[in-house]
Amino acid sequence: MSDSSYNPYTMAQKQFDNAAELLDLDQATRDFLRVPMREYQFSIPVRMDDGSIKVFRGFRVQHNDARGPSKGGIRFHPQETINTVRALSMWMTWKCAVVDIPLGGGKGGVICDPHNLSLNEQERLCRGWVRCLAKNVGPLSDVPAPDVMTNSQHMLWMLDEYETIHGGKYPGFITGKPVGMGGSLGRTEATGYGVMITVREAMKELGIDIQKTTASFQGFGNVSQYAIELYQQMGGTPICVSCWIQKEGKAYSFVKKDGFDLERLREITNHFGEIDKEKAQDQGFEVLDSGAWLEQDVDLLVPAALENQITGESVPRISKQVKIIAEGANGPTTPEADEVIKERGILVIPDFLANAGGVTCSYFEQVQSNQNYFWAKEEILGKLDLKMTDAYLAVSKFAKTNKIYMRDAAYMISVERVSKACQARGWV
Amino acid sequence: MTEKPDKTVNNLIDELKERAKELNCLYEVQETLTQPGINQDEALQRIIQVIPPGWQYPEICVSRIKLGNKTYQSENYQKTPWVLHSDIIVQDQVEGQISVNYLEEKPELHEGPFLREERRLINTVADQLGNYLLQYRLQDLFNKKAKDSTEPDTGWRVVLSLLKKTDPDLLITTARKMVHHLCDHGIKEAEGLWTLFSSAYREDRDILEANFPYQFKVDKEAVGTLDSVFDLAEKYLEQDEIFSSIQQWIREDQTGFLVNTLVQPGRSLSEILNALDRFILLAEQGLELSEARKQSVKMALIRRLLSTHESYVQSAKKHIEIQDIHKLSDKMIYQSGSHGKLGGKGAGIFLAMEVIHKALRNQSLFKKVKTPKTWYIVSDVIFSYIEQNNLEEIIEHKYLNIGEIRQEYPYLIHVFKNAPLPPEIIKGLSVALDDFGDVPLIVRSSSLLEDQAGMSFAGKYKSLFVSNQGTKEERLASLADAIAEVYASLFGPDPIEYRYEHQLIDHHEEMGILIQEVVGQRVGPYYFPAFAGVAFSQNEFRWSGRIKKEDGLVRLVPGLGTRAVDRLTDDYPIMVAPGQPNLRLNSTLEETLRYSPRKIDVINLEKGTFESINIDQFLKEYGQVYPGVKKLVSVISEDQTRIPAGLGPDFENDKLVFTFDGLFTQTEFLSLLRTVLTELEEKLDHPIDIEFACDGDDFYLLQCRSQSYGDENIPAEIPAAIPDDELIFSASRYITNGTIPNISHIVYVDPTAYNQISTREEMLDVGRAIGRLNQILTKRRFILMGPGRWGSRGDIKLGVNVTYSDISNTAALIEIAQKKGEYTPDLSFGTHFFQDLVESSIRYLPIYPHHKGVRFNREFFTQTKNIFQELVPDYAHLEDTIHVIDVKTSSQGSLLHILMNAEKNLAVAILDEEKKTLVTPSPTLKRGDRRIREDHWRWRFQTAEQLAANLDPARFGVQGIYLFGSTKNATAGPQSDIDLIIHFTGTEKQKEDLKLWLEGWSLSLDEINRRRTGYTTGGLLNVIFVSDEDIKNRTSYAVKIGATTDAAFPLPLGTDKG
Repeated sequence: MSDSSYNPYTMAQKQFDNAAELLDLDQATRDFLRVPMREYQFSIPVRMDDGSIKVFRGFRVQHNDARGPSKGGIRFHPQETINTVRALSMWMTWKCAVVDIPLGGGKGGVICDPHNLSLNEQERLCRGWVRCLAKNVGPLSDVPAPDVMTNSQHMLWMLDEYETIHGGKYPGFITGKPVGMGGSLGRTEATGYGVMITVREAMKELGIDIQKTTASFQGFGNVSQYAIELYQQMGGTPICVSCWIQKEGKAYSFVKKDGFDLERLREITNHFGEIDKEKAQDQGFEVLDSGAWLEQDVDLLVPAALENQITGESVPRISKQVKIIAEGANGPTTPEADEVIKERGILVIPDFLANAGGVTCSYFEQVQSNQNYFWAKEEILGKLDLKMTDAYLAVSKFAKTNKIYMRDAAYMISVERVSKACQARGWV
Repeated sequence: MTEKPDKTVNNLIDELKERAKELNCLYEVQETLTQPGINQDEALQRIIQVIPPGWQYPEICVSRIKLGNKTYQSENYQKTPWVLHSDIIVQDQVEGQISVNYLEEKPELHEGPFLREERRLINTVADQLGNYLLQYRLQDLFNKKAKDSTEPDTGWRVVLSLLKKTDPDLLITTARKMVHHLCDHGIKEAEGLWTLFSSAYREDRDILEANFPYQFKVDKEAVGTLDSVFDLAEKYLEQDEIFSSIQQWIREDQTGFLVNTLVQPGRSLSEILNALDRFILLAEQGLELSEARKQSVKMALIRRLLSTHESYVQSAKKHIEIQDIHKLSDKMIYQSGSHGKLGGKGAGIFLAMEVIHKALRNQSLFKKVKTPKTWYIVSDVIFSYIEQNNLEEIIEHKYLNIGEIRQEYPYLIHVFKNAPLPPEIIKGLSVALDDFGDVPLIVRSSSLLEDQAGMSFAGKYKSLFVSNQGTKEERLASLADAIAEVYASLFGPDPIEYRYEHQLIDHHEEMGILIQEVVGQRVGPYYFPAFAGVAFSQNEFRWSGRIKKEDGLVRLVPGLGTRAVDRLTDDYPIMVAPGQPNLRLNSTLEETLRYSPRKIDVINLEKGTFESINIDQFLKEYGQVYPGVKKLVSVISEDQTRIPAGLGPDFENDKLVFTFDGLFTQTEFLSLLRTVLTELEEKLDHPIDIEFACDGDDFYLLQCRSQSYGDENIPAEIPAAIPDDELIFSASRYITNGTIPNISHIVYVDPTAYNQISTREEMLDVGRAIGRLNQILTKRRFILMGPGRWGSRGDIKLGVNVTYSDISNTAALIEIAQKKGEYTPDLSFGTHFFQDLVESSIRYLPIYPHHKGVRFNREFFTQTKNIFQELVPDYAHLEDTIHVIDVKTSSQGSLLHILMNAEKNLAVAILDEEKKTLVTPSPTLKRGDRRIREDHWRWRFQTAEQLAANLDPARFGVQGIYLFGSTKNATAGPQSDIDLIIHFTGTEKQKEDLKLWLEGWSLSLDEINRRRTGYTTGGLLNVIFVSDEDIKNRTSYAVKIGATTDAAFPLPLGTDKG
C-alpha cells in the first residue's frame, strides 16, 4: 500500500533520472548519485525533566561530498522519515552545485515534537545528537544548519557539545549561529538580494533598462522585502505587492500605479509581513483581491510567497508586458503553467537559482568561521553579488547553448558539476 | 428625593466628622472597660470623661452615671432640659441610668438637640456598661471564692445561690449542663436526674413519638431540687472542675443574645453586626465558648452574611472563624434595615482570602500573596435603592420579551444613573473612599445567583473601572455613578437571557457590589498592574500529551487582566501550565510572535478612561519605567527570543515581545501560583479559577470561584451501554469535558487513503477541498476528522495542510492517530493553531483507533453514502479520500453527538435523535435546558420571504432565490446571517443594481436585528450569485439547489410586475 503513496525520495530520484537522461550520464554515475553516499540512523537517549529516559530516533544523510563537506539542516519533526531526509539531502547537493560553492549535500533530523519538550530537554537532545555523530560530522566533513523547528540556540548547543568532545574551537562545524557567536552578517538580506541580482543580470542580457521597469511582488515577507529594497536601489519601480492577512484568512494585493516607497510601507507592516489595510489606503494604495498582483501590467513578476501560485488557470491572466518571472518562493509555478510561460517566451529564473542567496550566505558563514575572521556586511554582499551573477550567467549560457528551458538548465548544470567532481576523484 | 445628590455629598463631610467622634467615644469606653486591673469606680469615673467628646457640642456636654446608690458625674454637671437618658440593665434588672446633658439650648434635631446616632451611641454605652457590671460582679465573686477556698465547696455554691435568687433560668441551664457533663463521665446515677427537668423523662419514652401533643407537667419545684445535681457532682468531680465548668457555662449564657439575634430571620444586618460586636468584645474579655456554640454561631453567621449555598457553607465552616467575619463587617456597607449578603463573588473572594491567609502561616511562599483592599455593599441595598427612586416596575422587567428588554436597556441605564443611592450608602461609600485613598477602583457585581456552582455568569453583569481621581466629592459621585450602572446590569438583556436559558428566571436575584482597589502602579498618565491574568486549577486546554489536567492553566497578559479574562480573536494571552512550566505552547519564533499580547489595557488617570494601547508603541514610550519589565519581555534576536540581560532591553531600538520568560524561569511565580491553585482546590474541595494581578512586587489574588464551565464544557454524562450501531467512535486519551451536540455532517479524511496519495499537489488539494467545505457546511454543525496532524506544513504527509481559516467553522477538530506498523504517530494537539481553537471554542479530540477498548467504526465513515462530490464537484478526484456524511439522511433522522468526560477520560460519538437541549445535564450539576430561541430563525425566514416577494425578477434579471444555511435549518442565532443563493441571468448593469438593492435590505435588516438582539454584523444578508452554467455544472453553491441533502429552499419571487 505504501508503494503508491507520495514519497519525496522517489520524486527526487525521478527528477534526477530525468536530468541524468538528458545529460546522458553513464550508469555508474547514475547509480552513485541517485542514492546517498552515507546514512546514519541512531538512537538518542535523553533524560527528561521528570527523571525518566526517552529514546529518540535521529538521522543524518550525506548525499554527496565530492565537491566539498556536506551541508544541510537538522529538522526536529514529529513524523520525520528517512525518505524525507534522503530527498532533502539530495536537493541540497544540487542547490550547492548550482551556485558553484564547494559544498556537498546533507540533511538530518530527529523524530520529535519540540512542543512536547522543554528547552532543557531540547538541549540534551541536541547534545545527544552530536555525541552520536561526533566522529562523522565536522567542519571538514559535514556541516549542519538550522531547519524546521530548530534555530540558532539549537546550533549553539550542538557546537558546544562538538567542541567539548573534540577539545578545541570549531566554529565552522555548524552554521546559522547568532551574529557575534560565529554567525555571519547579511543573512537577512541574502535571499532577497540574491533574487534581484539574478534579475539584474537577466535584464542586462535582455537589454532592458532596469530604471524603466515596473514590478509586482507576491508576498511581503523577508525575501520579498529585500528583493524590493535592492530593486528600488537599482532604480526599478515596484507598483504592487500582495500579502496574507492571517486574521481574515485571505490575501490582498496592494497597488500603487506610480510606484510605492518600501520604507513607508514597512512602517505599516507587522513582523509577519502583514500590511495594515486601512493605513495602506491612507498611503494611496488600492487594495485589491489576492490574485491582482499577477495581473498587473509590469515587466517583472516576483512570486515570493507560496508554492503553486502560478497555475494553469491563473497563467493566462499574466500581462503581455511581463518579461521576467523570478521565483523567490520554492515551486511557485505548476508544470501546466510552466508550459504556457515557455510558449509565451517569458524568461523564468527558477527558484533553485533565484533563491540560492541563502545557502551562499551559509557558505560564507562557514568560510569566515573556519578562518576565524569575520567580514563586514559590504564585503559579504559584494561576494554574494559575484557568486549570484556567475551562477546566473552560467545557467543562462547553459540554457542558450543547449537550447533548453532555464528550469531544466539549472538542474542539469548542477548534476553535471557534481558528476564531474565524482569522476575527477576517480569514484566513478 | 428632592435633595440634589451634590448637596448630600457636601453635608456628608460634616456628618462623617461626627461619626468619627462617635466611634472614638465608643472605642474609649470599650478600652476603659476592658482595661485589666481597673476597679469599678475608676472605670466609671473615666467613662464620664470620655463621653462628652463623642457628642456634637462637646464643650457644653456633661454626663452622669447613676448606679444603685452611687453617682458618677462630670465636674460641672447640672440637670438641664436638653438631656438623653438610657437605662443600665444587668440581667434584665434596671440597675442604673446614664444621662448626657447639654448645658445650652441648641437647634432641634432628631431627639431634642441630639442626633439619631447619638441616641444609638448612648444606648450602646449603656449596654456595654450592663455587660461590664455583670462580668465584674461575677469575676469579683469568683475571685473572692477562689482566694479563700479553705472551705472548698463555698466558691461555686455561693455562685449558685446567687443565681437562684437572680437568674433561676440560668441555674436550670447550668444544672442541665452539669447533668450532661456527669453523663459524659459515665456516671450512671446522673441519668436519673433528667426527670428534674421535664416530667417527660418519667414517662415511657414512646410518648414523645406519639402523634398527639404531649402535656408537660410543669415542675415548679425544680429550682429547689436542683441541689441534688450539684451534690452528685461534688461526689464525683474535683472542686476545681465544678467551679470552672460553672464559670464557663455562666459566661456562655451571656452570648445568648447573639444566638437569639442570629436565629431570628427578621433581625436586620445591623442588629446582627451589633450583636457580633458585643460578642467579640466579650471574647476579648476572655469569654470562651463550647465547640457546639461556636459552631452554631459561625454557621448562622455564614448563612446570614455570606452564602446559603450548601457547598460554600461546607467549605466556609472549615476555614472561616467568627473573628474573621467580624473583621469583614468593618468593610461592609449596608442600611439599618438590610438583610442582605455579600453575594457570590464577594463570598468567594472572602473565603479564598481566608484560606490563603491561613495557609500563609505555614508556608513562606504565601507571604507574597496579598489581597487588594475590598469593600462590600450587601445584596439587598439595590432594592431600597429601587424603592427610594420609585423604580418598582423594573422588578418585573425580566418577564418582558427579550427584544423589549434590549430596547429598554439604554434608557434604563440612563434612569439608574440619575437616581441617587440611599444616603446611608453614600455615607458608607465615603468612609470606604477614605480607606482607599485615590487609587483606581473596580466596581464588580456580586449577585446571589453567581455563587451557584457551575453557573457561569462570567461577564454577564458589569464590572466597571473608576479612575477615582479628583476631589472627594468628584470621586464619590463617580463611584456612585458606577455602582448605579452595575445595578442596572441586573436588568440587562444578556443576563436575563442567560437566566432564561438556565431556568433561573424565576429565582430571586439580588446584587451585592464589590469595590476593590485596582492593583497597579502609575506609569506616565497610566495606571495598571505589571501583569495580570486568570488561572484554572484544572487544565481543560492541553496542548501536549505530557500535560495533565491537574497541571492547571494560566492565561497571562501585561496590564489589566481584562484581556486574559475575555477571549479576543485578534489578541492572545500567554498560556502556560504551572505544573509543566517548561512545556511551552509556542516553540518557534513565529509562533511566539503570532500568539503574544499585542495590546495592553490600562486606566488613563488623566482622562479617567479605560484604554487599550498598542504594546510596541507603549513599550517604546514607557518601557524604561514599566515595573519589572525585564522579566516580562523578551528581545527578538535573529531567529530566537532571549530574556534581556544586564541593563535590560533598549526600548528605542530592540524588537520586544511579551513572553514572560523571565518571570517563568527566573522567579518563583509559577510555583507560587501552582501552590495557590492546589491549596485552594484542596481546601475548597472543588476545581477553582482565580483572577490575579501583580503590581511588580507583590502577587494579589483578586477573585476566586469554582472553576466555571462554559455551557459546552460541562462534563457530559456518558450512557452506560451504547448499542454498537449507535456508537461511531470512542476515545480514551487526553479527553476534556464537554458536549458537541447535533452534528449534522461529518467530514472524514480517511487516513489510509490520504497516505496513498502519490503527489504533493493532490495532498494540497485535500486541504483546499476542506477549506471549501468549511465555507459550505453550516457553522459549528459539522466536525472534521483526519489523519495525524491538522495544519501540517512542509511535510504534509503528516496531516492535511490547512490554515485556521480553512477550519474556522467546524465544531470540532479530530485527529486520528492510525498506527503504521509498529509506530503510532504523534498528534499535534492542534498546536498549529491551538490558541485560535481556544479563543473560538472549537473543540479538539485525539483518537487512537488501535487502542484497547477504543471503538472506531471505519466502515461507517467509508461505506456510508459520500456526498462530497455533490458539494465540491471540482475536487471529485478526492472522493476516496474525503468523505462527507450527511448524518441525518444516512441514519434515519438521527444526529451525531459527541460526549466528553474528562473525569472518566472517555469520549463517545453516538447517533441519537436531535437534542432539543444543547447541554446534557450531568447528574452532579443540575442544569437547565438551553433552548434555541425560536424567534431568531423564524424572523429571518419571514424576512427572507418578504424580501423575495418584494424583488422584481424582471427588473433585476433574477431567475430564483434560495434560502440555505442556519435560517433554512432553523438553527439561526442572534448573530446569524441570512444566507441566500440568487440564480442570476441578467446583465452586469442589472447585477450592480441588484447588489445595491440588496445592500439596502442588508443594512436595514442588520439594524432591525441589532435592536432585537444587540448584535450587529455590518449587513445581515449573505448573498451568493450563481449562473445558469453553475447550475448546469453543479459548481459552487449551485450544488445546494435541488441537492439531496441540506438543499437550499426556493423562495417565491415577487409576481412579475412588468
